[in-house]
Amino acid sequence: MWVVYTLNGLYFAALLFLISLGLNIILGVMGILNLAHGSLYAIGAFIAAWIIIAIGMKVPPFFLYITLLSGFVLAGFVGFLMEKSLIRFMYKRTLEYQLLLTFGALMLLEDVIKMIWGGQAYYASAPFDLLGKVDIGGNIYPTYFLFVMIIALMAGLFIWLFMSKTKLGIMLRAISLDREMATGLGLDINRLSTFAFVLGSGLAGLAGALVVPTTPALLGFGHEPLILGFIVVVVGGLGSLKGALVGALLVGFTRSFGIAIFPEIELPLLFLIAGIILVVKPQGLFGR
Amino acid sequence: MGATAMTAGTLGTASKAIGQTKKPIPKDPIKIAAISFLTGAAAAPFGIPGYNTFAMCADVINKEGGILGRKIELLSKDEAGGVDAQVKLCRKLVLEDKVDVILGYISSASCQAILPLADELGGLIIAYDCGTHELMEGAKSPYEVPKFKLGFRSKAHLGIDNIGLALVIKKYFPKIKTIAGINPDYAWGRESWQIFEVAMKKLMPQVEVVKTLWPPLGNTDYTAHISALMGAKPDIVHSSLWGGDAVTYTKQAMGMGFFKNIKMAYSRGEPYPQEVGKDFPQEQIICCAGTHYFLYPPHDKSPLNKWFVAEYQKRYGKYPTYPCYHAYQAIYAYKYAVEKAAKAVGGWPELDDIAKATVGLSFQTPSGTLTIREDHNAIEDVLVGFTKLTPKYPFPILDPKRLEVFPASQVNAPVGIKTVDWINSWK
Repeated sequence: MWVVYTLNGLYFAALLFLISLGLNIILGVMGILNLAHGSLYAIGAFIAAWIIIAIGMKVPPFFLYITLLSGFVLAGFVGFLMEKSLIRFMYKRTLEYQLLLTFGALMLLEDVIKMIWGGQAYYASAPFDLLGKVDIGGNIYPTYFLFVMIIALMAGLFIWLFMSKTKLGIMLRAISLDREMATGLGLDINRLSTFAFVLGSGLAGLAGALVVPTTPALLGFGHEPLILGFIVVVVGGLGSLKGALVGALLVGFTRSFGIAIFPEIELPLLFLIAGIILVVKPQGLFGR
Repeated sequence: MGATAMTAGTLGTASKAIGQTKKPIPKDPIKIAAISFLTGAAAAPFGIPGYNTFAMCADVINKEGGILGRKIELLSKDEAGGVDAQVKLCRKLVLEDKVDVILGYISSASCQAILPLADELGGLIIAYDCGTHELMEGAKSPYEVPKFKLGFRSKAHLGIDNIGLALVIKKYFPKIKTIAGINPDYAWGRESWQIFEVAMKKLMPQVEVVKTLWPPLGNTDYTAHISALMGAKPDIVHSSLWGGDAVTYTKQAMGMGFFKNIKMAYSRGEPYPQEVGKDFPQEQIICCAGTHYFLYPPHDKSPLNKWFVAEYQKRYGKYPTYPCYHAYQAIYAYKYAVEKAAKAVGGWPELDDIAKATVGLSFQTPSGTLTIREDHNAIEDVLVGFTKLTPKYPFPILDPKRLEVFPASQVNAPVGIKTVDWINSWK
């Protein structure tokens, strides 16, 4: 069963990686801590669930998986609206304003979700069922979880290549390293910030969409991922993409093995471990 | 106040020391607050069926003339929002809106917070679905009853579900070696497991518990839990997961190949075959929170069940599940108690009169006979069955050849004795 626990750990890590990658891009480039990040995850889940339920088995399976990208697209779009209307007023402000404003955005988005999708649970398991199960060393394992891991890996690779090899990516990194210098060199901070926010939000939405074939979308869906995402970011190091990966693996494995070995302390175990790490390294594992 | 002396003497009924006014039956409607989960994961399998039944019964009662000629005005409220919100709502309903009775609460957490308010606020509260046995039990046996003067529960508590499961497992699987449990981490889950474990220790002491898991209520991802259970290799897994949690857990377990080697025993699993559908695994042990099942008692033996199932299906397009039967019990308990009390006082009864009349109330329900005892708790028989897919229904039903019914006396602790102590006293 250790094989299964490890695979589960990787599966959770994949989802958390996407969430915290988004958080870190926004944090790194814009210096903004977005409490509404979980709501973007939820929006991604709801739109994906809704589309999957609507088109169901009427399309060839390939398109069913493409619909998961709708989470990325809609969350990115909502992120765009948020950035233009709310976030851009916060760059010069202190942390308290950020937390308050983004928390307000969280409540707003929660009600918007309730208005559009109501209070019921949306089950959309077709993408999960279609992929069936695979035998790994004598253990049955759902193929869909492997699919999620591959998507997360691809997203991570894409972001890494983007950040290190493309002009746009290098500009984003420049801003996150030294905002004033970047402005002085003539970079269009406003447009690049918007882009970073949209990208980060889209990643959260993608994570939500990926999880919906196994987990029903319902109100409050984004609360736990938000908290876990923050733990990953804080433990891994604020703004660090490498930190997001290591942090996600840590949290994912803690959950998977923790529930199997220490079920009684399922809830506090993660916080215990995070606490220990932060006592030793307050800026996180790879933080600056 | 002038009428008091005359009527107290005339009737010679059990009147209060203050002297009872024979209140004429008012003409305005009776305000009944019905509280159920209308949003969230518990809404579809639980809250909405409960609400539907309240609405259906109120409608039927009103068409037949209401309660003593007074129509029912049903106020439907959402149980979601957490315990603090529910406490606020209860205060508002009793003190501001002045409802005649509150029929409510699915979550044991809600009940634990709200029932004490009955006496504090002076409002009649009938708990219709929550199961925590600690709600009405005292700290030690024997304990004084009732715990709340104006608080009642129109159903049996979780003792019957978990004792019933243990009895069935002993009968059908006497050779098993290991069990495990996955229960939500709050009163309902902890207590359900406690009763089940105590009963199993008494009935099958050779069986070992290999794992107990405690996901939080409302958890949506059971992947790690399912893998942990599969790794521990139990023969049977007990679960009091309910509502959306039970559906999500079952679907995820199905996807992970859990049911290949392990059997589930759901302490309140009756709604879920219908919720999950055709693919719900067969041969799972399902308890019905009483004997509440759309096919039990068989319709030729119970015209009331036949009517109830047909009426519910006609209005809502689904078969009723146990929250529906519980809702029926609550609203009719109130109706019969008011009628019984009105007869005793010769007019419209006060809350104390209704409370008094509720004790010993015994009436026919679509599931059988319901009796409310002096501890303000009801007692019921319990039905445990095995899922089986048949051509007639689009989801697995309980195998009609193996419907195990245990009488109330075998699964409900005597008045004033804690359930755990009672089980331990069995020979």
